[in-house]
Amino acid sequence: MFYKTALTSLAAVAAISVAMPLSAAQKNGAVAQDFKLTDMYGKTVQLSDFRGKTVVMEWHNPGCPFVVKHYDSGNMQATQAAARKQGAVWLTINSGAQGKQGYMKGPEARKLAKEQGMNSDHYLLDVKGVVGKAYAAKTTPHMYIIDGSGKLVYQGGIDDKPTANKADIKGARNHVTAALTELNAGKSVSVAQSRPYGCSVKYAS
Amino acid sequence: MTSNSSLPAIRPAQNIRTMFHILLATIFLAAFLSIAPAQAQVDLNKRELNVPATLVAESRQVQAGQSVTLAFVMNPKPTWHGYWENPGDAGIGMSFDWNLPDGVTAGKAQYPVPDTLLISGIMNYIYKGDYAVLVNLVVSERVKPGPLAISVKSEWLACTDEICVPEQDELSINLQVVGPDAAVSLDNAFNGYREALPRQLGSAATFMVKDDLFRLSVPFPADIDVETPYFFIKEDGVVDYAAPQKVNRDGDSLIIETGARGDGLQNISGVLKIGPGTGFSLKAASGDVEMSGAPLVSSGDSGNFLGGGDQSNASLLLIALGGAIVGGLLLNLMPCVFPILSLKAISLAKAGGDEGVVRRDALAYTAGVVVVATALGALLLALRASGAAVGWAFQLQDPRIIFVLLALVTAIGFNLAGLFELPNVNFGNKLAAKDGPAGSFWTGALAAFVATPCTGPFMAAALGATIVLPPIAALVIFAGLGIGLALPFLLIAFVPAIRNRLPKPGAWLDSFRKAMAIPMFLTSIGLIWLLGRQIGEDGLALSLIFLLFVALILWWFGGGQMKGLSRGMATTGALTAAIIGGIMFLPNEEAMDSQRLATASSATLPSEPFSEARLAELRANDQPIFAYFTADWCITCKANEAAAVQRQETADAFAAANVAVLMGDWTRPDPVISKFLEKHGRAGVPLYLYYAPGEEPVILPQILTVGTLTDLVT
Repeated sequence: MFYKTALTSLAAVAAISVAMPLSAAQKNGAVAQDFKLTDMYGKTVQLSDFRGKTVVMEWHNPGCPFVVKHYDSGNMQATQAAARKQGAVWLTINSGAQGKQGYMKGPEARKLAKEQGMNSDHYLLDVKGVVGKAYAAKTTPHMYIIDGSGKLVYQGGIDDKPTANKADIKGARNHVTAALTELNAGKSVSVAQSRPYGCSVKYAS
Repeated sequence: MTSNSSLPAIRPAQNIRTMFHILLATIFLAAFLSIAPAQAQVDLNKRELNVPATLVAESRQVQAGQSVTLAFVMNPKPTWHGYWENPGDAGIGMSFDWNLPDGVTAGKAQYPVPDTLLISGIMNYIYKGDYAVLVNLVVSERVKPGPLAISVKSEWLACTDEICVPEQDELSINLQVVGPDAAVSLDNAFNGYREALPRQLGSAATFMVKDDLFRLSVPFPADIDVETPYFFIKEDGVVDYAAPQKVNRDGDSLIIETGARGDGLQNISGVLKIGPGTGFSLKAASGDVEMSGAPLVSSGDSGNFLGGGDQSNASLLLIALGGAIVGGLLLNLMPCVFPILSLKAISLAKAGGDEGVVRRDALAYTAGVVVVATALGALLLALRASGAAVGWAFQLQDPRIIFVLLALVTAIGFNLAGLFELPNVNFGNKLAAKDGPAGSFWTGALAAFVATPCTGPFMAAALGATIVLPPIAALVIFAGLGIGLALPFLLIAFVPAIRNRLPKPGAWLDSFRKAMAIPMFLTSIGLIWLLGRQIGEDGLALSLIFLLFVALILWWFGGGQMKGLSRGMATTGALTAAIIGGIMFLPNEEAMDSQRLATASSATLPSEPFSEARLAELRANDQPIFAYFTADWCITCKANEAAAVQRQETADAFAAANVAVLMGDWTRPDPVISKFLEKHGRAGVPLYLYYAPGEEPVILPQILTVGTLTDLVT
């Protein structure tokens, strides 16, 4: 028991020590910063464990109207399901600090994920904002795609209609779905960077 | 007792339950709040908006073929903010979905100069207080007179530092299309809205993206003060918004360096903010930009400041201090100081044997110089803090001080010439031993004061640094100037080798002293010229009469000294009376203003201030008119004026053709001029117009030559 606790705290320290030096933006084409985070079940998840698979990262804050737009409409859940069907791993990350909008503990997150029918593989809690800052995640949602070789191939918005209006989802270009389709077809991502839109990530400081 | 003792056991459980209820209620409320905006979108109840918008028109009446300005007046509730067109890292700009009648078109939205808001490393470009976004509607000539219903669906994001709510509203306004002769009354509130917009900078800027750095060079006159400049870029993906912006000034360029995000654009645009609510909109083309010149301060919000700044301030202080000391040293060679210095130096040398006396006098002199230089500096900083735009020798903007300085310098000149002797302050005519430290101190104070009309090399840059440095550091620079000024004395006093090389006093010294009256009188002539420019010939003549009184009194005093009579008391009284009289008879403010106007009209090409009324009057008289619009911060304007407008050939040609010249100065935001520029399709200066009698005005090119102007009238 003690051994496990010690290991977990060691992992947390490791996550901080690998993420801290790179508190600047990650660049497309570069190997994505590895990290470890605890998921909503208390399990430690490490990015490099998914090497060989495409990984989608989604920054989340349930209180943000722009996130609400994509969940109430079912758009985000559908995008998640389609991604997993194509063999990708989907990580939803919450970098909201305690006391800030959207902050959740494991049980609350589990409840929300069930209610909303989230299809992500892991819901990760980044209360200290270490991973969010390492990736320079600015908004919720803010999307990143990492290819099988561990390289960052997309960063930006979920689509090209920066509004909080559900009616705008139809007719918008879903950058994530488009990028995953291109990757699956062995092509390079045509829109590798776009402007993320939404609320600011509610970091601790 | 039992119930009492059982209470502590129950309470925690109740507390936990209560807390749980509160928590549930909070979660429910939070969930409700986050859904609420979606409902607000449906029922469009304005009172629910956190940043409510109102649509107003500058005029309800609009003539066909003309345009009318609409304003979205936004009133954020306390703690809420709205976003600029480029919101920064997060947030969203405003959108407009117009529903316009046929023949009506809406222009691009014009946003006021925004503020920065940095939260946890995420940069937001925002408006915290009330603000107005302007849009021009153009009504085509074919629109028939009658009512004109305008409606627009607008969406914007309202945020606090914690949460964001997308808001939208359907706004409408009913305008009236009127005939060409109908009166159009304008809403004056729009003058304020326009003042808040960035003004268009006439000249094009250059930018470069290289090695993760973004640099922008903006042509901006060296003599225009800026406070914490910040560049708001309109295009996304070029600049790392949250990175601090470093600012250098290099002559007529202002250079900004910050983190880059991406490359690939050939042209960018944005707003350069130079103070609260003051900014210039500019366009920049890709090119090479060096981070040359001297650093200003790092700008942005306080949280944005990532070290290094203190260090650069410290090195700026050292450089400026060095400049001030060298500048003060060189100041000794200026005609206003050299006579005092040279004679004092020789008198010090005279004391030869007594080291102690020489050193004491030199230190007293230094103290006098440093005290006066620092006091003048402190006064300068205080005036600047109160908002006055003043520089070194600011006191010379006041004719009263010029008059006192003139009387003083003239008196020193007469003293050197031998007209009279002074009991306490002397410039080498008596033995230094008799001088005493008090005399040396006042000699030093006097030297520093009379030195102010003169500026030497190195001083401008050093004193310029006092604008950006903290007050204490700025005072150190002024003290440094004083030390520089006193440095020769200290050297003479403390280095015997130098003192021994000075010529031994003798009969020649008297001649030298008389000769030194010449640079002193030259300084007088300089001051008389300066005074004349400020108060005009009439005022100057009166002042010179009082100056003559001063001279006569001193002559009488000197005469008494020769006869061995003490006329000190009477002289002091008479002198005071003469100088106060001279000050009293100086022209008042009004007369000085008209004098300033007269100075302006004595430019090579005289002009009248621009007004629509004057323009209409001149046009009614069928007089040809040249109207030009300029601003002190506009380099293109100044270049054109030097090269083409203020030229004798132009003035002669215009005079021959009886061309009236109107000049609009846009240095300060002026709604009348702003509106006039807008009417001519210009967002900024320069604008050059030529009105041939009875014809439509011709807009002249932005780069003028003498030929362009003289061809108009030949």
